Amino acid sequence: MKLNIEGLLVYFPYDYIYPEQYSYMLELKRTLDARGHGVLEMPSGTGKTISLLSLIVAYQKASPLEVTKLIYCSRTVPEIEKVVEELRKLMEYYSKQTGESNNFMALALSSRKNLCIHPELLHANIVVYSYHYLLDPKIADLVSKELAKKSVVVFDEAHNIDNVCIDSMSVNITRRTLDRCQGNVDTLHNAIQKIKETDAEKLKMEYRRLVEGLKEANVARETDVYLANPVLPDEILKEAVPGTIRTAEHFVGFLKRFLEYLKSRLRVHHVVQESTPQFLKDIFDKVCIDRKPLRFCSERLQSLLRTLEIADIADFSAVTLISNFATLVSTYSQGFTIIIEPFEDRTPTIANPVLHFSCMDPSIAIKPVFQRFQSVIITSGTLSPLDIYPRILDFRPVTMASFTMTLARTCLCPLIVGRGNDQVALSSKFETREDFAVIRNYGNLLLEMSAIVPDGIVAFFTSYVYMENIVASWYEQGILENIQRNKLIFIETPDAAETSMALEKYQEACENGRGAILLSVARGKVSEGIDFVHHFGRAVIMFGVPYVYTQSRILKARLEYLRDQFQIRENDFLTFDAMRHAAQCVGRVIRGKTDYGIMIFADKRYARADKRGKLPRWIQEHINDGSLNLTVDETVQLSKHFLRQMAQPFRQEDQLGLSLLTLEQLESEEMLKKISQIAHQT
Amino acid sequence: MPKLSPLKRMFPGVWRCENCVEMLFVRGSGNCVQCETPLRKSNFRVQLFEDPTVDKEVEIRKKVLKIYNKRDFDFPSLREYNDYLERVEDVVSNLTNNIDVENTKLQMEQYQRENRDLIQKNKVKLTREQEEVEELLLLEKQGNEQRRLELLQEEQRQLQAKRKNKQALLDELEHSQLPATMLLAQHKVRAAKLETQIEQQKQAVKPTSLFSTGINMRQTVSLQPPPRIEEVLYQYKPVHVETYGPPVPELELLSRLGYLNHVRAAMPQDTAGGYTSALACHRAIQDAFSGLFPLKR
Repeated sequence: MKLNIEGLLVYFPYDYIYPEQYSYMLELKRTLDARGHGVLEMPSGTGKTISLLSLIVAYQKASPLEVTKLIYCSRTVPEIEKVVEELRKLMEYYSKQTGESNNFMALALSSRKNLCIHPELLHANIVVYSYHYLLDPKIADLVSKELAKKSVVVFDEAHNIDNVCIDSMSVNITRRTLDRCQGNVDTLHNAIQKIKETDAEKLKMEYRRLVEGLKEANVARETDVYLANPVLPDEILKEAVPGTIRTAEHFVGFLKRFLEYLKSRLRVHHVVQESTPQFLKDIFDKVCIDRKPLRFCSERLQSLLRTLEIADIADFSAVTLISNFATLVSTYSQGFTIIIEPFEDRTPTIANPVLHFSCMDPSIAIKPVFQRFQSVIITSGTLSPLDIYPRILDFRPVTMASFTMTLARTCLCPLIVGRGNDQVALSSKFETREDFAVIRNYGNLLLEMSAIVPDGIVAFFTSYVYMENIVASWYEQGILENIQRNKLIFIETPDAAETSMALEKYQEACENGRGAILLSVARGKVSEGIDFVHHFGRAVIMFGVPYVYTQSRILKARLEYLRDQFQIRENDFLTFDAMRHAAQCVGRVIRGKTDYGIMIFADKRYARADKRGKLPRWIQEHINDGSLNLTVDETVQLSKHFLRQMAQPFRQEDQLGLSLLTLEQLESEEMLKKISQIAHQT
Repeated sequence: MPKLSPLKRMFPGVWRCENCVEMLFVRGSGNCVQCETPLRKSNFRVQLFEDPTVDKEVEIRKKVLKIYNKRDFDFPSLREYNDYLERVEDVVSNLTNNIDVENTKLQMEQYQRENRDLIQKNKVKLTREQEEVEELLLLEKQGNEQRRLELLQEEQRQLQAKRKNKQALLDELEHSQLPATMLLAQHKVRAAKLETQIEQQKQAVKPTSLFSTGINMRQTVSLQPPPRIEEVLYQYKPVHVETYGPPVPELELLSRLGYLNHVRAAMPQDTAGGYTSALACHRAIQDAFSGLFPLKR
């Protein structure tokens, strides 16, 4: 259908539209008009992707000078494929409606192997790729140079974007890395000796260029100066390489010294935590390496590799990692911390020294994106509480809105189970993990649900260790046997191949009516990517609150930093992180308005306002006060009632006018009024 | 098999484990087994790095840097500073790889003789890079201290509140007796002492190493003149404005040509401020004359 959104003609390739899709597009248009950034939360399964694409394509066609490119960033390759499908449908609709062939070009970059095809990027109107190409400074350099300023960037499924930013700027160095780097440095040394005998002119040319301070032609472009890649701050682009690392031999000697220093640091016997200035001071004291040559390390290495005409850069990944580490450590004095652990906390007997250079401030990696591009939209199904994202990513959005699903019949049933039938409080708190009664009650819950819920049930635990403990306990208590009489049980493991096989068999069991239960983990692959539509997921049970491992030193350093810089309390942040994962897990079962599912939160702590308030609005709406602290029996009763209701026939006509609209219904006065109230501004 | 003690080594590259060093110097001093050079026990150092050449290089570098310690503002341009740095690197690499040792040592001595004063002066201060690092460290320390103090203050406040409660209760119980006032007085003295303690701790954090402008006392500020930039001398060219009309008579000639007879004369008050009737007349004539000629196609 053709829509009119505040004067903009939008082609929407379906005959029916959800009211929230319309208000989503409205908010999006307003954000683009204001040329600012936006944070939009829209429930999963409500056609977010197609709304985004149709509005932005329409905007591009209407004012091609204002929005020259759309850069759509998604997390995984399957998601990118979905986007490309929707885009294809949209383009077909356009050519059918307008009769003219499209001169729009869309480019999708999937894996790192299919890296940049520069000239094509310049002409493409829509580019679809993964976050890392824009955020990770090492990759962003290669791919994103050509992107124009007047572009719109969309980060889809962006609830984890702060972790992506942090990971892109963090470096972990083990003994193995250093050994491989030693090998690389020796190779470089030999290559230099060889080239001095055969073609010394090349080295001399490079030397002359470095002395003059001339930059390589494709390093110092204006667009780059704008995008100030975090690994190469502005001053570097303007200054000449310092004299200490000008000649190739001196540079290799420099690398050797730095490497030896790192090796000596890894020989500690107790944990060391340092800030970057302290680390730099120590480097200077021990090996007389100044801060400035460290900053130019990556640039110098790239130049050397080019001069030596090394064909296979992948072999030199270790030394590239170390030089990136050197540049990062010498550039940033705040927002990073260095933690050296002689062994992992959980395995104190195995000597495994690691140096963690971890970024504590996600805004460092994403700041260039916000500064450079006109409009950046962050969207996902679970972004609550909305105001935390602008705080930790340090940007000012012009729009922050959360949308709910308009439902003709309530197809969600969120329930909070706080007690077992024997009134024992259920919780995955650390103190109660070994409690026999709690484990028995959890088993009872799963057993009862497996008896009444048809087809598939998905159960999420807080960690692999916890899951193994509980399952072992259930086996001993004989609960597993009882459950297996009702449904088959499949389990997710850290191994990818095993998990995909388990998933396949689970789906087969759900298809043919035998029914199955999938036991998985809250931060695993299943919770992040797999959808359980219709009969594949009729109920989801979240056992406990999925807090991250709180004793990790890196996490503690990060929490301290957040408290000092952004005044975010540690507890708030941990709860926010746990709840967003819980919401992600639970959102797996609803993928459309005809889909329905039971969402069970099995922990008494969910009833508390601070946790409940952090669930997305579209789930919170359906939690009524009566379902806050149920026992297992009450849960079973409510679920039975819900399932019987849902089993009634539900045709599309029932939805029309309420949750599904035709063009005429959309344009009626009262509908427009209702729609303007859907977006809840925060 | 006996346990190997940490290795030690000396300048020319002799390696001995700790036990052997002890044995060798039981008599006070001895000669190297391989090259017969007389060795001294004090010259043995513990090896820090796995690669022995790196160890040797670091030792040499430290010695060289003590002599070649010029900083970036001792040079007129960045290019020259970088050239100097490269020369230093060459010296270090020559000495490490035993290339041209004699010559290099002579060079070093010559440099030392020429720049004796500068070396002395720079010995005391640090390079600018290190100063930046020191500044950051100091800021960090101050930040940490402040946070620690704030935490302490919080604890004190909580303790105080508790004590006050207790005291209030006791006061009520001992209302009728006289010594209650003495107890109160003692409590007040204690509270005052606590306050002064916290104040003293706060004082300790205040940085005493900053000037009022915020510059660190120990920081070196460059007293060099700013670098000379030679450019082409600026030539003044008067502005030419195209009026598209006949030329306007000069300001001074107006009275002679008779224009001023048709303009209100300037009163004494006006001339005191510098106004002459010629000014207004000139402006009116400019207005009238401009644009009279037709535009050339």
